[in-house]
Amino acid sequence: MTIRSMKKSVSHIILLVYLIAILYPFLFVLFSSIKSDNQEIASNPFGLPSSFHFENYREAWVNAKISVYFFNSLYIATLCSIATILIASLAAFAITRMRYWKLSKGMFQFILIGMLIPGNALLLPIYILLKDTSILGTHLALIIPYTAGAIPFTVIILSAFMRSIPGELEEASVMDGLSAEGIFAKIILPITVPALVTVFIVNFIGNWNEFLMANYFISTDELRTLPVGMVGFRDIYNTNYAQMSAGIVYSIVPVMIIYGVLQKQIIEGLTAGSVKG
Amino acid sequence: MNKALRNPMTYAFFMLPVLVLYVLFFIYPMIDAFAKGFTKWNGIGTPTFNGLKNFDKALSDDNFWHSVKNNCYFILFSVFVQVPIIVFLSLLISNVKKLKGLYKTAVFIPSVMSTAVVGILWSFIYEPDIGLFNVILTKIGLNPVMWLSEPKSAMISILITNAWQWTGFYIVMVLAAILSIPREIDEAAVIDGANGFQRAIRITMPLIMPIISVVIMLSIAGAMKAADIVIVMTKGGPGGATDVMATYMIKYGITNVKYGYGNAIAVLIFVFTLILTALYQLLIARRSERVEY
Repeated sequence: MTIRSMKKSVSHIILLVYLIAILYPFLFVLFSSIKSDNQEIASNPFGLPSSFHFENYREAWVNAKISVYFFNSLYIATLCSIATILIASLAAFAITRMRYWKLSKGMFQFILIGMLIPGNALLLPIYILLKDTSILGTHLALIIPYTAGAIPFTVIILSAFMRSIPGELEEASVMDGLSAEGIFAKIILPITVPALVTVFIVNFIGNWNEFLMANYFISTDELRTLPVGMVGFRDIYNTNYAQMSAGIVYSIVPVMIIYGVLQKQIIEGLTAGSVKG
Repeated sequence: MNKALRNPMTYAFFMLPVLVLYVLFFIYPMIDAFAKGFTKWNGIGTPTFNGLKNFDKALSDDNFWHSVKNNCYFILFSVFVQVPIIVFLSLLISNVKKLKGLYKTAVFIPSVMSTAVVGILWSFIYEPDIGLFNVILTKIGLNPVMWLSEPKSAMISILITNAWQWTGFYIVMVLAAILSIPREIDEAAVIDGANGFQRAIRITMPLIMPIISVVIMLSIAGAMKAADIVIVMTKGGPGGATDVMATYMIKYGITNVKYGYGNAIAVLIFVFTLILTALYQLLIARRSERVEY
C-alpha cells in the first residue's frame, strides 16, 4: 500500500465514522420500532430483534392519530407555500420590472428589514395579535403567519431572479399590446419557474417542520401539525419506546422519500436560500 | 413601453398583498413589542405604563442572565466546535474521489428533518434506562449519566443534538465552495512541491474564508433561533438550566400570561441580536473579502 492510498483510506475511515454517527440514530429507531418492549431495546440495542413486532406500527398509527396530523401538516404547508409564492411573485414583478425604480428600491429595502428581525422576538406579539383578532386556536393562526413569515426571503430570491431577465422580452410583448398583468402571467412567470420551484421547496420544508408557532398557537388535538402531534404523542407514550419509535418512523419516512427524489433541488434550495437570506 | 409598465393601479395591486401581510406580521409586532414592553399587562384590561420596570426586572434576574448565557453557549459551541469539524470534514470529502456523492447526500439528511422529530429521537438516545448512550456506558462498566435531567449535562446534550442536526448542512455549503476553486490553483501548488496539508492551509483555507464567515453568521443566527429544540428535549428544565432567551420569554409571556414582561424580553432578544450582528460585521465580515477567480 502506498502512502497516497493509505492517506485516502484514513480519510474514508474518518468519514465513515461520521456517516455512522449521522445514520445510526435512524437505524436505532428503526430496529427499536419492531421490538417487543423496552426490555428488549435495553438488552439488545444494536441488533435486529428475534421476532418482528409490526403491530407497533398499527398501534402507533391509531394512538398517535398520525393520519390526522399528517394531513394537517400537508395541507397547511402546501397552501402557505403556494400563497407566499403567489403574492411574492406579484411583488417581485412590480419591484423589478415595473417602471417605478425609486419607489421599488425603497420597497425592496423595506422588505429586507424583515430578514434582520429575529423570528423568536415576534412570537409573543404575533400571539397577542392573533388572540385579539380571535384567530388563535384555528388553522388560520398558522396559515396567515406562515404565509407572511416567508415573504422577505421569497421576495428577495424571486426579485434576484426576475432582475436577471433581459428587458428585450417585455419590450417585444408591449409592442404586441400586452398589459402589465399579461407580461407577468405570460412572459415573466413562466421564465421564473426554476426559482419558483426552489422557493416552494424551501418554504414547504420550513412550514412542514415549524414547531414553535404550531405548538403555542393551536391547542386542539385534531388541529395539530405533525411535529407538535409527535411531541404530544411522546409525552403520553413515553413509557413505550417501541411504539414511540414506530411513530418517529412514520414522521421520518415521508421526508426521506421526498429527499431521496428531490435531493439535488432540496440541497441547492436550502443552502442557496440561507446564503441569500 | 412605459405605459403598460407604468400603471399606478397595477403597481399598487401587485404590491398590496405582500405589503399588508408584511406590515401586519413583521413591522406591527415589532413596534407592538416595543410599546407593550414598557407596560404592566396580564391580558385582561388595558396595559398600564410602568416605565423601565420590566427591563429592570429582567436585567436583575439571574434566570434571565442564565438564559442569555445558554444562548452564548450555543454560539460558542457552533463557532469553536462545529466550525472546525465542518471545515475538516469538508476538506476530507473534497479530497476523496469515491463515495463523494454518498457522503454529501447522507450528511445532509438531518437538516431536512423537523427539529421536533430530531429532539424526540435524541431524547430516546439520552433516555436514562434504555437509551443508546447509557446502555453502552453500562456495558463497558461505567456509571450511567442522567443526560437530560441533570443540570450539568442537559445543556451539552442539547448542544450535541443541535450540532448533529446542522453540521451536515454547513458541510455541504463549505464543500460546494471548495469544489468551485479552480483546479489550476491547486495543480500549480502541487508542481511547486506543496504537500496536501500545506495546500489545505495555504490555498484552500484562505479561498474559502468568505463561506466560513457566512457559516459563522448563520450559526449565530441559528443559535438565536434555537428554542424549539430546547422545548422538545427539556422544556427549559431541569429548573431552568437549559432555558434560552426565547424559552424564557415563552415561559413568562405565553405560559404565565405576563404580556408586558414577555414583550420586554422580546425587545431584549431583538437588541441582543442586533448587537451580535454588529459585532459580527465588525470582527468577521470585514476581514473576509470575496475572492474572484
